[in-house]
Formats: sequence, structure tokens, C-alpha cells
Amino acid sequence: MTTYVLKRLGQSVLTLFLTLTTVFVLLRLAPGDPAAAYAGPNPTTEDLARIRAQFGLDDSLLGQYGTFLANLVRGDLGTSFSFQAPALDVVLDRLPYTLTLAVSAILVTAVVAVPLGVWMARHVHTGREFGANLFTIAGQSMPDFWSGIMLLTLFAVVLPVFPASGFATWGGLVLPTLTIAVLQIALISRMVAREMSTNMTSPFLTVARSRGVSERGLTWRYGMTNSAIPVLTALGTRFAAMLNGVVVVEVVFAWPGVGSLVVRALETRDYPLIQATVLVTAVLTVAVQLLIDLAYPLLDPRVRLTKTSGRSASPATAPSAQTAQEAVPA
Amino acid sequence: MTTTLTPGPAAPAPVTPERPSAVTPADLRRAGARRQARWARAKTWTGAVCTLVVVVPVVLAGLLPLPDPDTQDLGARRLAPFTDGHLFGTDQLGRDLLSRVLHGGQTSLMIGVLAIIVSGLIGIVLGSLAGFFGGWVDAVISRLLEAQMSLPLLLMLLLVVALFGPSIPVITLVIAIAQWPEVGRLTRSLVLREREKPYVAAATVLGLSRVAVLARHVVPNVLRQATLVVLLLLAQAVLLESALSYLGAGPERPFATWGRIISDGQDYITTSWWLVTLPGLFIVLLVVGVNLLGDGLRDRTRRADKEA
Repeated sequence: MTTYVLKRLGQSVLTLFLTLTTVFVLLRLAPGDPAAAYAGPNPTTEDLARIRAQFGLDDSLLGQYGTFLANLVRGDLGTSFSFQAPALDVVLDRLPYTLTLAVSAILVTAVVAVPLGVWMARHVHTGREFGANLFTIAGQSMPDFWSGIMLLTLFAVVLPVFPASGFATWGGLVLPTLTIAVLQIALISRMVAREMSTNMTSPFLTVARSRGVSERGLTWRYGMTNSAIPVLTALGTRFAAMLNGVVVVEVVFAWPGVGSLVVRALETRDYPLIQATVLVTAVLTVAVQLLIDLAYPLLDPRVRLTKTSGRSASPATAPSAQTAQEAVPA
Repeated sequence: MTTTLTPGPAAPAPVTPERPSAVTPADLRRAGARRQARWARAKTWTGAVCTLVVVVPVVLAGLLPLPDPDTQDLGARRLAPFTDGHLFGTDQLGRDLLSRVLHGGQTSLMIGVLAIIVSGLIGIVLGSLAGFFGGWVDAVISRLLEAQMSLPLLLMLLLVVALFGPSIPVITLVIAIAQWPEVGRLTRSLVLREREKPYVAAATVLGLSRVAVLARHVVPNVLRQATLVVLLLLAQAVLLESALSYLGAGPERPFATWGRIISDGQDYITTSWWLVTLPGLFIVLLVVGVNLLGDGLRDRTRRADKEA
């Protein structure tokens, strides 16, 4: 167990390191001289040299990378250009909003999608399942910015039930949550239905039925417990993706979270802020994935973390994508 | 003669069972497998129709008698649909919305199709290499897949586009790189199963090199299933492109694409509903179509594989 956790932690750190390196390289590869951008119009050669020295840009690429890593270890991600504050603090200030939105969206998704998927599995090959299927296909075919604007128009403008933007009251949470949930419910319920319909035709279920277990018991105690791992994996992956900032939805609803911050940081080429955002969201993503992996043995005693190699420890990695948009980030 | 034509009570269906059975033809028609087959057909056809309804006008946009998408007419701003020959109405600068949607759609579709070709190629090549050779090849490629799947995807896409500029090649490449893991993972798992089949051993015994076996025998056998996923990715690529252009990271030339049109129209949503609603419905129709088509075809393939 401990070995496994240590191994997974090592992998997580490696992933984080790769992510940050990618971002670092991308930022330096990009055309355009940050010093010239910072200096304003008509800078002299001396000006440019001074700015380069100030930000360490005159160093070799490898040297800059070393400085970046050294500062990173000390928790220093630089000062945001546009906020004139430590980049990490700016991101952490926004994080609670994104967390609130992500938690509420994933809760609504789980509460609706799991029963819906089970229901679809129980009515497999019937008109009801076909209808539900059409509904889920429509749900995952709507661009989220569009369905967001539509909900906004309907429930904030035409029928002013909820506030249109921001997070002044809890009512402001409803429409963004709904926008995210529509898509996620469509994806997760299809996946639950697939898992469950496989389980519901398994021999162990026939045996249980012959022993007189009620249909309700069959569905939840025998079917669902065996689908728990893939379902939890899918929900966890979705949740992790939402922590990256539900960029589009946050922009539509002017939600003060990490997603809208990213868009702003990119527009202003605020390199330290971009790096800080990537770091924070990557840490969260990796942490959620680690927690899911560690939860497997609790859900299914057949999974033993010690006996499996780090790679195949997850008996059911996220089920293969079946329909488009399953991999679209939230 | 006339007597035979008079409609009488419906004769019972001529049941001529070849063997005595309690299962009537009606039961067979109602059976789950049959229904599924019918639905797969229905999905495929509906999907094909929805897709064509969008794709054909978009492809023919240049030939259709439409006003130029960039000609502004400030005297005809935000006309409602069906006024003055503007089927979708006009936008905030008096440009014909239908024409803009169709011309912008050419760019969206082109990016989508190019992106899935590139991601399909990368995914199939790397996935089949990983599945067929195993060992360190598999280890490297699988790690790469996992690492990429744990990256904040849209964030990275935005980053790359922001840094390298929203040109069509950059956006295409970015979407392709975002999508190849799907194809790669599927191809890998298909090849893993395929390589255990006797014909692979036979080909090896006949003296073909490992690469030749893979390229000439294994890959053609998994290609059909892999390409189906690629079709589903087209829907995803269109959605990604529209999300990028909604966020202002989409191509501007030659024409604004769907996401941009919607984002421009958003400011007028209270007075001019069509500026956002109609382009959005256009995207939905296309994506529903492609999803249904891919779903239906996959159901059929799956059944064919089961019967084989």
C-alpha cells in the first residue's frame, strides 16, 4: 500500500514537472520579445537590455529554466504583470469560486445521471431507452457557450428568475451549474447505462435472481456495486477537468473563477499568471486522480493496490470514449 | 373477380412455420436485437440527413445566391429573419446572417476535417505501434497518452493559440494534438486483440517482417473501427473550434467562424434573438447529425462483429 502510494506520488510529481516544462518551453518558443512588449513603443537598445536583465531574460534558456525551477521550489511564481501582485495569490483568490461551481455541477450530475443511466439500462432496447438516448445525444451536441447563453436569455432575461452573471447570491449558481450539468449528465448517464447493461446480463446476476433477490436489490446491490469503479472514475475525471476552470461557462456567466482569469491572463500575455494558473490547476487535477485511485479498494475489495503494478492498479481506467465530446474538457 | 377485391376482415397472417414454434414472427420483430437493428438504421439515416442539411449548403456557399458575408449595410441592421430576403436576418452591421454562417462554416468544417485526418493518422500509427510491439514502445506511448490526458486541455489549447496566433494551421494542429489520444488508445486496444489471431502468426511464419505484418495485415483489419471513432471526433473538433473562436481564439480570416458569430451576437441577445440562436442551432444540427451517424454506424459494426 505504502509503496503503491509512493509510486503514484512519484508519477504525479513527474506529470506536474512535465506540464510545467511544456508551458515554460511554449512560452519561450512563442514568437515575440517579451522585453519589447514590456518596454512600450520605441525602446532604446539600453532599455531592452535593462529589462532583459531585470527579468533574467538575458540568461541562456537553460539558465532561465533553472531559475524558474529554483523559484518554483520556494513557492515563488513571480509577480503578475496585470495585477501587480504575486501570481500564486491571484490564482488562489479565484479558486474558491471555481471550486464552488465545480462541486455543485458534479453533485447535480451525479444525482441525475446515475439514476438516469440505471433506468436506461433497465429499459434497454425499449422505446424509453431510445428516447432517453436521443435526449443524451442532443445534450452532448450543444456547445456549452451556446446553451449557456440560451439558458441565460430564458431564465434571466425573458423570465427574470435568476441573476444573469456573477456570484452575488446563491441564485447565481443555478444557471452556470445547469449549463455544465446538461452536458455532463448526457455523457455520464450513457456511460452508466453501458456499464450497467453489461452487468445486468452477467451470470452472477442470474444466480442472484434465482435466489430470489428483488429487482431493486439486483439493480443497486449487485449491478451498481460492480459498476461503481468505472462510474466513480468517470465522475472524478470530469470533476478534475472542471477544476481547470470551466473556462467557457465562466466567461458566459462572468463567473469570477480561474477560467475567466486564464482568458484574461492570455489576453494580456501575463506569463507569471499563466504559469501559476497551470500549476495550481495541474496540482488539483493530479490530486483528484490520485484520490480516485486510492478509493478503488474501498469500493471493490477485489482491488488490492499492493499487488498490482503502478500502471495497472486501476482495474477500470476511464472507459474508452464512445461518443464525441467525452474528452472535451468541461 | 370483383368479389375477391372487396375488402373483407383482415385474413390472419399466413403463418407457415417450417418448424413448430411458439415464437411468432411478430415476437421476432419485437425482439430486442431486431429493434436495435432498426434503431441503428434509423440513427444512421437521421444522422446522415442532419449532417447533409448542414454540410451541403456550407460547401456550396459560394455558389448559392447569397449576399456577400462581409458587405455591411448599416441601413439594414439587425433585421429579423425572413425580412427583405434575409432568411436568417442580418447582424449588427447589416451583414446577411445566413451568408456569414455558411461562409464561416467552410472554415469550421475545413478545420474539423483536417484536424481529424491529422489526429487519426497520428493516433492510428502510434496506437498500432504501441499495441503491436509492446515493450518499451508501448511504455513510452502509453505514458505520453496518460500524461496528455491529465493536462488541462482547453487551457493548453488556448495557450498555444494565444502564443502562436489564431491561424488555421495552428488551430487545426492544436485540435489534432488534443484529439489523438482517443484514437491512439482505441487503436492500441484493437491491435492488442488482433495480433493474437492466427493469421498474424501465419504471416510471420511466411517470412514477412514485423512492420509489414502490422502495416499490411493488422492495421487494415482494425481500420474500420478506428475510423468510426474518428468520425465521432469530427463532432468534437467542430465543438472545440467553436469554443476557441467563442473565446476569441478562432480564425478571423477569411471569415469569422461560428463561435465568433455567436460571441459577437451575444451583446444583442435581448433584442435580436436570432444572432445567437440560429448559428447555435446550426452547430447543434451538425453535431447531432455526426454523433447519430457515428453512433448508428458503430452499432452496426458491433453487431456485424458479433455475428462474425
